[in-house]
Amino acid sequence: MTQGTETPMVELKGVKKRFGDLEVLKGIDLKVDRGKIISIIGPSGSGKSTLLRSINNLEVIDEGCILLDGTQVNRPDLKGLAFERHINHIRQNMGMVFQHFNLFPHLSTLENVTLAPRKLKGMAAKDARELGMELLERVGLADKASTYPSSLSGGQKQRVAIARALAMQPKVMLFDEATSALDPELVEEVNRVMKSLAEEHMTMLIVTHEMAFARDVSDWAMFMDGGVVIEENTPDHLFSHPDQERTRNFLRKHLGRQEQTQEYL
Amino acid sequence: MDINLMIELTPLLVKAAWVTIDISARALFFGFFIASALVTLRTSRTPPVRWLARAYISVVRGTPYFVQLLLVFYGGPAIGLRLDPFTCGVVVGAFNIGAYMSEAIRGAIESVDSGQNEASRSLGFGRFATLQHIVLPQASGLMIRSIGVLAIILVKNSSLVSIISVVELTYQAQRLIGSTYKPLEVFTLSALMYIVIIYAVMGIVEFLYRRATRYTFL
Amino acid sequence: MEFDFSPVITYFPTLLKGVGATLLIGLVVAIMSIIGGQVVAVITLYTRKAVNWPLRFFIWLFMTTPLLLQLYFLYFGMGQWILIPAIVVGVLGLGFHYMAYNADIFIATIKSVSSGQYEASRSLGFGHLATIFHIILPQAFYRALPQLGNNMIIMVKDISVLSAIGIAELVYMSQYAISVTFRPFEFYITIAVIYYLINIAMESGQSWVERRAAQRR
Repeated sequence: MTQGTETPMVELKGVKKRFGDLEVLKGIDLKVDRGKIISIIGPSGSGKSTLLRSINNLEVIDEGCILLDGTQVNRPDLKGLAFERHINHIRQNMGMVFQHFNLFPHLSTLENVTLAPRKLKGMAAKDARELGMELLERVGLADKASTYPSSLSGGQKQRVAIARALAMQPKVMLFDEATSALDPELVEEVNRVMKSLAEEHMTMLIVTHEMAFARDVSDWAMFMDGGVVIEENTPDHLFSHPDQERTRNFLRKHLGRQEQTQEYL
Repeated sequence: MDINLMIELTPLLVKAAWVTIDISARALFFGFFIASALVTLRTSRTPPVRWLARAYISVVRGTPYFVQLLLVFYGGPAIGLRLDPFTCGVVVGAFNIGAYMSEAIRGAIESVDSGQNEASRSLGFGRFATLQHIVLPQASGLMIRSIGVLAIILVKNSSLVSIISVVELTYQAQRLIGSTYKPLEVFTLSALMYIVIIYAVMGIVEFLYRRATRYTFL
Repeated sequence: MEFDFSPVITYFPTLLKGVGATLLIGLVVAIMSIIGGQVVAVITLYTRKAVNWPLRFFIWLFMTTPLLLQLYFLYFGMGQWILIPAIVVGVLGLGFHYMAYNADIFIATIKSVSSGQYEASRSLGFGHLATIFHIILPQAFYRALPQLGNNMIIMVKDISVLSAIGIAELVYMSQYAISVTFRPFEFYITIAVIYYLINIAMESGQSWVERRAAQRR
């Protein structure tokens, strides 16, 4: 996308991924500069979620190369424990937010946030608590610190999940359809948190169905279908005057959904 | 029913019940370690190790506990394995229940949503740390209940060691039926003791289950 | 240590008789415990307390005490009042034991058939009993199949326990052969192998039945 002399925060070169005979990523190239926000849209099965999960190595790519701040994420040369150590370290610098939240149900809201810094960074309990409360404050859930995930609404769960990811002070945040599983009235509270992150210049990759939100928040937008990037451009251009027929068709189909979310903008 | 006789027999049967508890508890304790080892071996990176663990589990589950007991006790000396009856009961009980328990533990671990694993790994936790901090705490409730069911089976199975003349509850009951000619009294008393043991196990299991799954009630 | 399996070969016909007896006992007990289990479950669920309370008590008693203790009571205990042949005691003892376990399953699966099924059947004009037998029980039966299969697989392994009251099944036959040849290891290994084969056969039978029944659930 944008030009720059500094190392991109995230870079993908010729990334390919197969599930059996099905090639879901057919050579993806992508650069995300520090502090930029990229939205990836596309129909289900387009490979957009797989792409995001590949960056976190939750899916292991077959070909190509993924770099986080200049460090290679996928390392086919490393095996077994050596790779484990490598990827655990890499992942600590990436925050991932899932469609189904995946909060740890056996831990309180605060413990969900503080577990990683305490166990992985050896942060003292008191410091972790302070950090956790600060982050919960930021997502507007400080009063829920001692409740357990089962008693939170979907929107609240997702905000805690974001706080949990932020607790490791990641260099980049990956959002995998963070609002797709939410009731419509709960989408906004999560979007607001994501927007506040954007304003603080967090580098973000957002896979989403919320066209209006994507257009509003991102610096660059990408349309994927069938495992390839069909078109990428500034959000204004991509959403208003898409160059490709497939993009136009997709956007037309999603118009209904778009209008729904337009209301909050 | 002859109440006086029952009162008279109670100390003997209580003593025998302790042997039943003793043998079952020891078998459960060692069985847990055997089960944990089997679960680990089943996820080994070396295929032959995995096959061996699976074959062991399949064979133990596919043959009667009673035959296993007879094989080790009477057949053991042929391969230099001489065990006294009590030890034999504990060892065979542990290796038997270990195979079943490994399946119970594996089932409980697999019952935890895969998203939990992904979320933990995405934070940077390794395989082992994920198991320790995320998966096991959530699997423990189901695990405790399944192990509880197995513990009850173990108590009932322990009656079979009477065949190799361990003086436990069933052995004592059979002996007393023969010497007192009062089967109903003896059966009632010994059945009552099994029932007390089994309900005690169920009570402990329920207590541990509630502790392990406390988070779901909060 | 030296192994000599030639006595096993010599006594193989004896063992085969034991296998035959084991399989026959297994078949009788399976039929008895499945049919009986269903009957007990229906009576337990659809009759007044005075009738079903004793049944519930016996289900509970059979499930909370060991099989061997039950067999000893029936064989040595009842033997003082009436003389019953061991084979009858064995089959009845094992049959009642698993009847209780099967009834427990049927009670759960009958309850799991939705009340909507009952209402739909009644609205068609079926009576109370006709609804139970034609609508509820068949559905409950198919739902119970996987667990019934498991119970029967466990039951066949428990037939070995009948040797304790002198029933000439597989283990008893081998004990006879051992008493003559003094080769316990070889014989018990053989018994284990035979049992393992029976077990494999039963498990594949179970999955075959379940595949066929899956369409009916």
